[in-house]
Amino acid sequence: MRYIWLVGWREFFENARTKGFWLGILLFPVIILVSGTLPVLLAKKGVSTRHYLMIDQTGEYAPKVRAEMDRQRTTQVDGALRTFARRIPTPSPLAPFVTPGESNRPTSRFDLDGWKRHAGSNYATLPGFTPPRAAWLEVPVPVEIQGTNDIPAIETLLRPWLRGDRVLTASEASAAPKLFAAVIIPREYGASTNESASLRYWSENTADTGLRDSIQRLLGDELRRREYQSLGVDPSIIARVEARRAPITDLNPRKAEGEEKVGLADRLRQWVPSFFVYLLWISIFAVSQMLLNSVIEEKSNRIIEVLLSSVTPGELMLGKLLGIAMTGGVMLSSWLGSIIGMALVQSRFFAAPVGAGESISAVANLPSDLLSLFQSTWLLPAFALYFILGYIAYATIFLTVGSLCSTIKDAQNLMGPLMLVLMVPLFLMPFIPWDPNGPIATVFSWVPLYTPFIMMNRITASPPLFDVIGTGVLLIGFDILILWGCGKIFRLAILRTGQPPRIVELLRWIWNR
Amino acid sequence: MSDPALELRNVSKYYGEFCAVNDLSLTVPTGSIYGFLGPNGAGKTTSLRMILDILRPTSGSIRILGVASALTVRHRIGYLPEEKGLYKKMKAWAVIAYFAGLKGLSAADARRRAFELLERYGLKDFAHARTEALSKGMGQKVQVLASIAHDPELVIFDEPFSGLDPVNQGVLEEIVTDLRARGRTVLFSTHVMQHAERLCDRLVIIGGGKRLFDGTLSEARQTVPHRVRLETEDDPSRLENVPGVSRLTSDGPGSWQVELSQGADPQCVLRACFECSIRLRSFNSAEPSLHEVFMKLVGPSAREASFR
Repeated sequence: MRYIWLVGWREFFENARTKGFWLGILLFPVIILVSGTLPVLLAKKGVSTRHYLMIDQTGEYAPKVRAEMDRQRTTQVDGALRTFARRIPTPSPLAPFVTPGESNRPTSRFDLDGWKRHAGSNYATLPGFTPPRAAWLEVPVPVEIQGTNDIPAIETLLRPWLRGDRVLTASEASAAPKLFAAVIIPREYGASTNESASLRYWSENTADTGLRDSIQRLLGDELRRREYQSLGVDPSIIARVEARRAPITDLNPRKAEGEEKVGLADRLRQWVPSFFVYLLWISIFAVSQMLLNSVIEEKSNRIIEVLLSSVTPGELMLGKLLGIAMTGGVMLSSWLGSIIGMALVQSRFFAAPVGAGESISAVANLPSDLLSLFQSTWLLPAFALYFILGYIAYATIFLTVGSLCSTIKDAQNLMGPLMLVLMVPLFLMPFIPWDPNGPIATVFSWVPLYTPFIMMNRITASPPLFDVIGTGVLLIGFDILILWGCGKIFRLAILRTGQPPRIVELLRWIWNR
Repeated sequence: MSDPALELRNVSKYYGEFCAVNDLSLTVPTGSIYGFLGPNGAGKTTSLRMILDILRPTSGSIRILGVASALTVRHRIGYLPEEKGLYKKMKAWAVIAYFAGLKGLSAADARRRAFELLERYGLKDFAHARTEALSKGMGQKVQVLASIAHDPELVIFDEPFSGLDPVNQGVLEEIVTDLRARGRTVLFSTHVMQHAERLCDRLVIIGGGKRLFDGTLSEARQTVPHRVRLETEDDPSRLENVPGVSRLTSDGPGSWQVELSQGADPQCVLRACFECSIRLRSFNSAEPSLHEVFMKLVGPSAREASFR
């Protein structure tokens, strides 16, 4: 046992000394953090204000569009003000409108409407509060174009601005703004349905369709409203009809009575396991690869002979498995630790405001939902267990492949088919959550090489106990079989040089002696 | 006399049809330096691996330090394989300490011993260097030190001198004689006859998996006929009739080789020369070298093997 430890420790330290190991450990939380906060940051700062201009020859639609853009802007500022109100220290004009959080709901509330009534139209000007940058800003039509009425002529004149060859006069958001889009509403717009009467939206950028979509939605509503009116429908009836929504409540029969409502937490329950499968896959694959390299190094360096004069092949094999398992274990626990740590920090300090839009609060509550998911399910223990059991199977196979080969090149040839086998759970991963206890999931759960991944994916969907225990026992049996068979091959292969043996030869090695 | 450190009895090893070692028997006395000689492919490495119980013999028995398997006494054995390699990223001292640890030394002892050996054999300045930064010769010395760090009773070196410059070959010879001085047994294989000649108390020569010779150096020399080299202007053909002379051959104008039969005294040739009035310009009688012994014993089979 002492020698298994010694071999294991050396293996662990050798890996722990590499830059790759530490990069892997440190990069992971950074990637999580960046992918979590970057979109928010980008939304706040990254995308600069887009400038557009509008030429409305009808004179009827532009005010509607402006009103809609103003409304969007108000929502944006209100959201920022809510966040601001919950974070500022108490001596502030906002303080009377903030209700501190309580034990059952740790989030503080901010009475935005009360504050608006109190502060009047300047409710957004506060010491310390900078309203977020506007996403869209309408600019006046350049003087050169004013007075031109012919649309083709206007468009010819606009081209230099639209292409970015010319810049607009300074706006409140930028010193030399570029024209992002031009919206031209022809005189006969709305009167006929032919192509020449369509709204002309000019922009180089075809990806950011925010402005275009807003205008299309708005004008669509407006045109329908006019059509109703022309048919003699009462405007109040139109308003009533438009206010109708189709409400949907998602319910899950597995949840406790009275709490059947499906929220983000439930979707997490379905999708977080997939993330864990991915993590499991990466870690098993990464450490097995390390193992393969380390055996080939020892073999090609002929260190193996010295080792074998000191330890038995079995001790060597188990020691190496142990050492790399420790490497993988440290890597994985630091990853998990950083996820949980970040979730803890996030849920403590950045909980969502009540009254904020549903999507915002859902995202902001994600960390705390994640934590409660970890607490209420077998996710983490299952992860640890499946890592160990899956690791034993894959690492032993990789180790044996390493022992059969004298060069990395030989190993790569043998690894090809093995990699295909290992890819299957990744391909299956997206399908399992759709039907976690369906035939595909069940069948693949019973394939020992896939059990760790597929069962991990199913674990929060209450799979039948028979599946859980049965596949677990099968996997353990498979691990023992692999250790036994590969141990025999390893023993003979490790001193062999030259071409890897044929399959028939391997089978003979297993059954003889 | 104490038990032999190592004893092989009728050991054979087959790989399928191929016989790598054929009925090999030998005895290595405790405290001796034992040479294991043979051409390429003679079965030396296979024999050493069997001795270490890395490989199992197909038949025959091995007793090492009084037991049947080297694995049970592995802490008392040191081994340096033929092809040398080290963990590239490890420091010199750490490699030595690691292998010493695998041989049963505690972590602290292993570390202390590593530094001690590095200092004694002139590698102190490289103790903290990664082994990939060492020259080939230095790396090999580190490996030799790693194999003896746990102060083994029996040390097995496979081709320890290959790849070392003359200075370091000297250092290695010093290590070997140091070991003998402390009563340790050393078994080493080599191609270089001079080392064997200088160091070995006993030696075995194998070829084609078979034992060709086992004994002391002087016994080895007796396996080849003693030769006398003469230079004379006269005709020495009458020497052929002298008792003890088995053959006379010319190897150049005025230069002759006299081959003596087993046990004959070179002095008899000199006496016969005087008696027959053969005027000598030179008379040269030297013991046959181990090289000659080796060439005679394994020469034909080695040539055959190398072209097989």
